[in-house]
Amino acid sequence: MTINNNVALENNRPRVDIRQKVTGAAKYTADQYPAKLMYARMIRFPYGKGIVESADLDAARAVPGVLEVELDTSKTYEYQGASMGHVAAESLDAIDDAIAALKLKFDYEKPRVRQRQLFRSVPEPNESEKQKLAPVFEKAAAVVEATYETQVQTHSCLEPHGSVADHRGDSAVIWGSTQGTFAYLDGIKDVCGLPPAKITVHNEYVGGGFGSKFGPDKEGTLAARLSKKYKRPCKAMLDRREEHLDGGCRPGSIQYMRMAVDKNGKILGGRMYMASSVGYREGGGGVANVAGRIYDLGTLVRSDTEITLNSQSPRAFRAPGWPQGVFGVESMMDELAAKIKMDPLEFRKINDVSERRKRQLDRGAELIGWKNRKPDGASPGRIKRGIGVASAMWPTWPTVCSAACDIHRDGTVEVRSGVQDIGTGTFTVVTDVAANELGIDRDLVTGKVGNSEYPRGPGSGGSVVSRSVAPAVRKACADAKEQLIKALASHWKTTPSEVTMVDGNFMFGEKKATWKEACSVISGDKITGNGRTETGAEGSSDGSSDCVQFAEVEVDTETGIVRVVKIVAVHSAGQIVNRKTIENQICGGVAQGISYALFEQRILDRNTGGMLNDGFIDYKIAGPVDIPEIIPVLDATEQDTGVRPIGEPATIPTAGAIANAVANAIGARVRSLPITPAKVLAALEEARKGATA
Amino acid sequence: MKNSSPDEPSPGRLLATPHSRRAFLKGMGIAAGATVILTSEVSAQDATAPAEQAVKYYGNGPQKISLKINGTEQSVEVEPRTTLLDALREQLHLTGPKEVCDRGSCGCCTVLLDGKAVTSCMMLAMDAQGHEVTTVEGIAKDPKYKAMLEGYYENDGAQCGFCIPGFVVRTAAMLEENPSPSPEEMRKGLSGNICRCGTYTKIFESVAAAAKGGAK
Repeated sequence: MTINNNVALENNRPRVDIRQKVTGAAKYTADQYPAKLMYARMIRFPYGKGIVESADLDAARAVPGVLEVELDTSKTYEYQGASMGHVAAESLDAIDDAIAALKLKFDYEKPRVRQRQLFRSVPEPNESEKQKLAPVFEKAAAVVEATYETQVQTHSCLEPHGSVADHRGDSAVIWGSTQGTFAYLDGIKDVCGLPPAKITVHNEYVGGGFGSKFGPDKEGTLAARLSKKYKRPCKAMLDRREEHLDGGCRPGSIQYMRMAVDKNGKILGGRMYMASSVGYREGGGGVANVAGRIYDLGTLVRSDTEITLNSQSPRAFRAPGWPQGVFGVESMMDELAAKIKMDPLEFRKINDVSERRKRQLDRGAELIGWKNRKPDGASPGRIKRGIGVASAMWPTWPTVCSAACDIHRDGTVEVRSGVQDIGTGTFTVVTDVAANELGIDRDLVTGKVGNSEYPRGPGSGGSVVSRSVAPAVRKACADAKEQLIKALASHWKTTPSEVTMVDGNFMFGEKKATWKEACSVISGDKITGNGRTETGAEGSSDGSSDCVQFAEVEVDTETGIVRVVKIVAVHSAGQIVNRKTIENQICGGVAQGISYALFEQRILDRNTGGMLNDGFIDYKIAGPVDIPEIIPVLDATEQDTGVRPIGEPATIPTAGAIANAVANAIGARVRSLPITPAKVLAALEEARKGATA
Repeated sequence: MKNSSPDEPSPGRLLATPHSRRAFLKGMGIAAGATVILTSEVSAQDATAPAEQAVKYYGNGPQKISLKINGTEQSVEVEPRTTLLDALREQLHLTGPKEVCDRGSCGCCTVLLDGKAVTSCMMLAMDAQGHEVTTVEGIAKDPKYKAMLEGYYENDGAQCGFCIPGFVVRTAAMLEENPSPSPEEMRKGLSGNICRCGTYTKIFESVAAAAKGGAK
């Protein structure tokens, strides 16, 4: 593959599908209303743990409009929102009436809901660990021991999970709100009883996923199963409560650390014991290990465990394990720096493993005004200002992706790949890379994604799509263009190597053809080129993305309210394709990070196991008034010739930077997310007591 | 076990017993016998029905009513419990307004009612009779909003886009009241809407451009 460096790839035009989204013309899965539609919903268990004692199935089945009711009363259910069965009906109203008619009675027991109470003490290190750590702590100029805690966060995609399945006997068309076109296809084919080639999964527009929407899940299989059975389209969408209870969450964590540092600011090592609070069964936890990826943490003894709760199991959530892990480690970084009275920025540069990130630290420091940063707690008055910083990175790994490019006789181009756009700008990346590779205007190109009939590509997980679809599209376009030049050369009675392209025109001696004129020599309707990457990492070798974020906050020491004033987000993302969409995604990652740092938290009732804040009224996510000035800085150099990840790194360091800024403002540390007013006031009170003691 | 076998009140929030507004509104209907849809407390405050509407009686089954939507009278068949949002989406397939929270707390279903922004999930379809309902589809076709829409197009005011129709309608209502909002006024004016992708920065830029472009 050759990277077309003749024309600058980077552009600053709006995403290609902006009009459809702004005018409401974009049709998501939830917006599909095929003729003869039937509806289905699951019946959800209302307690943390228990059984169904009785249910009036006959009454539910007798409700007008109800097609079927299934309920499993034999099981012990282990979380609120667990599916007990389903109702299918002609309308959503009939489903509600049927569930009411069931007159369900339950018995329940006290659930496991509080991670802190369930956290067993930190185990003693074993003998070999003790021996390993002994010299570390002997040499230490300072040691900090602290425990950090993070909450459970729900994905809260605005479009709920769901599916509209239309099984037509020997074929099926399925709309799925999914971030994995082919994970969905592979997951649904057996339910449909059809080979994959007979099924079309549509996911052109997806109302957010954030890691929670890969396979068809219960609702997808339910819709497909019922559509097949009743020979008509079936729609099964979750509602907001179901989204909070069974639509995915980031696990909580308790992170114990005891770290040693020498007098020059070099981290010597220490011990970490990380617990993740997960669902009703083990799995899905994990706190990212940043050792060697962000910082050299020296001699580290680390062990991890999981705490089960009566709740849904976690799902991958935008950089799984990372925002929580970086919050913990970056809090510890500042505590260590404070203990040896070193500037936190200098301290980071001593221990960071990436030269690039050290440069990013300097760049961000200038933009946030680090030199004006006051010592911890030195900001005067009731409302105190503080500045904090946190760093992150995101790795890459081999990803296979395919694409196809059609050049039509009229000069228009269609580029297809079965990857998906979940707000990430994939339509735009595909379109812009194709236009760049072909050397033509974007308006001639239609990028197409979100359909299982297109060439296979990866799901939107691990921030792999842009970086892998870009080389696949390039190859497909290069293949098609080569065929076009061949056709033109033959028309001009020369060889393809004699034909050149200058300023968008094809030239051979005195002969000249515009793009459209060249396309008119195509025999048949079109030329099709194919492209495939086995690695998804063409371009400059270092595949990872680095980033640092700085936060400036104001803390009201009487109310405990934290207001973020400014965020500077410095990110490398390789070669920039579209500046607007990438800046948008960085600002969005920051907004989600602010939300995680200050507001979001799932609260389960200790007696019933019910979620107390299962709507957007009381599960608070950051809204317009909570968003500060956000300055995205793209750290791209001429050496960055490949597209790199941005979706996940953009949200990783925000909470850590805010936590450090709060500590700098008030001179007391909140070691637990979210940083609520109550926790701020408690930290201030503790600091006051400490000062007077 | 044997903690309880709740009929009501339930100690937890019983998913399997629908405390949904759908059921709640229907319950109200039954309690009233022949349903009287007055200026309901659950409807948006702005949505006061005209006086002559207040004496019309409805049963609690499906009823044919007429709604003026995007300038055209349209016939829909609704129950007293049917929300305006459900009538728009389920019957007329106007899918610009989205159902996200179903509790008036996200703004994704925002429509204009006589030019004022209301969350259509918090209003009964029957209460919308006699009013002008404008959805994002109507705004998209109205030349009056061209500059505002351009503001969104040019500034990439969307990521996944599911919340954006709601923001667009809210912006239209906000700029009508305050054609040149300060950054703080803008944030407050949009504060009934949320975006999970966090597109806020680009939305602010879109609205600022719209205001500068003389959008109303």
